[in-house]
Amino acid sequence: MSKNLKPDRTSEESANALLVETSDMIEYYFEQGWTDGLPIVPPTPKLVNEIVIALGGEPNFLEARIPPRWGNLTREVLAINLVLAGCRPSYALVARTAILALTSSHFNLHGVQATTHMAAPLMVVNGPVRNSIGLNSGANVFGSGYRANATIGRAIRLVLLNVGGGRPGDLDKSTLGHPGKYSFCIAENEEASPWPPYHVEHGYQKDDSTVFCIATEGPHSVTNHVSNDPEGILDSVASAMSTIAHNNAVSSGSCAVVIGPEHAATIAAKRWTRRDVRSYLWSRTSNTYDDISFRGRYGNIYNRNLPRWYRRESGERIPIVPSPDDIHLFVAGGEAGRFSAFLPGWGHMTAPVLRSINGAAPLNSPCVDGTCEL
Amino acid sequence: MNKNRLHPIQIAYDPRGIVAVKPQRLAPRLRTFENVRLGVVDNSKWNASKLLRAVISQLQINTTFSEIFMYTKPSFSRPATTALLDRIAAETDAVITAIGD
Repeated sequence: MSKNLKPDRTSEESANALLVETSDMIEYYFEQGWTDGLPIVPPTPKLVNEIVIALGGEPNFLEARIPPRWGNLTREVLAINLVLAGCRPSYALVARTAILALTSSHFNLHGVQATTHMAAPLMVVNGPVRNSIGLNSGANVFGSGYRANATIGRAIRLVLLNVGGGRPGDLDKSTLGHPGKYSFCIAENEEASPWPPYHVEHGYQKDDSTVFCIATEGPHSVTNHVSNDPEGILDSVASAMSTIAHNNAVSSGSCAVVIGPEHAATIAAKRWTRRDVRSYLWSRTSNTYDDISFRGRYGNIYNRNLPRWYRRESGERIPIVPSPDDIHLFVAGGEAGRFSAFLPGWGHMTAPVLRSINGAAPLNSPCVDGTCEL
Repeated sequence: MNKNRLHPIQIAYDPRGIVAVKPQRLAPRLRTFENVRLGVVDNSKWNASKLLRAVISQLQINTTFSEIFMYTKPSFSRPATTALLDRIAAETDAVITAIGD
């Protein structure tokens, strides 16, 4: 058993250092309840300071308050959580960008943290920073094996747990959660994509680096090994999207679709653009009002969480999301394999957000304080 | 290492950050519902209005409210607006809400 002695006054600049009597720092952090259930990297003054410097110095600078606990995320506290997660200092700006995006009011992090739904913030990184810090956008992109993906995603989760207080069963009320609540950070495979990158579609320059955040379920694989045209591949994606089981069906909002490089190449060979893909998916995905109302079995269901303009009559089409713009499309994954993925969103209670690493927003964009609501 | 210590002294870092928000006190509790102005806040969840209507019916068996005001929060997950909270505070003496999941 470890023992807390007193705050560490050996380094006056730290408001968070403690002197502890322990022979095992990893066990100490477990005992305090400051991990995600996995062993952490014990922070040292050197490791913390290196990341504070990467964030711009000023360890007491307040970057954000993290709901629902509303803990103060200073640069030093962010650095501590990055060290715990195993991040290199070069990952710090991506992690901070994600945090600033997640804490904009559009995203409603309070709700995402506290909901009984399983949603977790997915981060998708675009631009040169992907390659400079070694983020994986290729094979096994949602899986394990890359330090940058694994530890940036983990650091964000540790901030949500430690600073935001999103402890399971306490302030995180998720009934089931999903594995992305350990780490959920990917990059777009811009090199394998036949289309301009996601952030360019939203007004950024190709040389800008951005982080996109959306609250989603885990990825649902879409298999199609037979189609040699866009329609066939996208009909498979549409099939995965058209179900009453996910939150988009009953709470509207946004979702994400990840097209694998082989599928993307087939689609683009017919000169389809990103917008063509999103528009086709929107037009081909739906439930009927009969489906979502269980054919009246439980009485007359209006469902106030769907847009007013949906026609609530037998046989009428109920879109999965309100518009093609609510389908956030990325190209990612390995070069071999005819697979894509659909990630249902949490619903209208959250809005996806996009932010550049340097906080600059595109000219004439509706972004607020550098974060764009999508 | 000190001979009296079982383990070495090391530096650890608390990763939680401080909470600078001041805690708010609860409003004084009412002794009775009789003749109070009741606010009923529907948070727009699936079954919230059904549950609240049932609660009001049950309460009215033994209680006479001077007025009942109904309010709806447009998103069950997003915070109520300050304008709505101010209106509820001005118009009511007691408030009932329901999650109604």
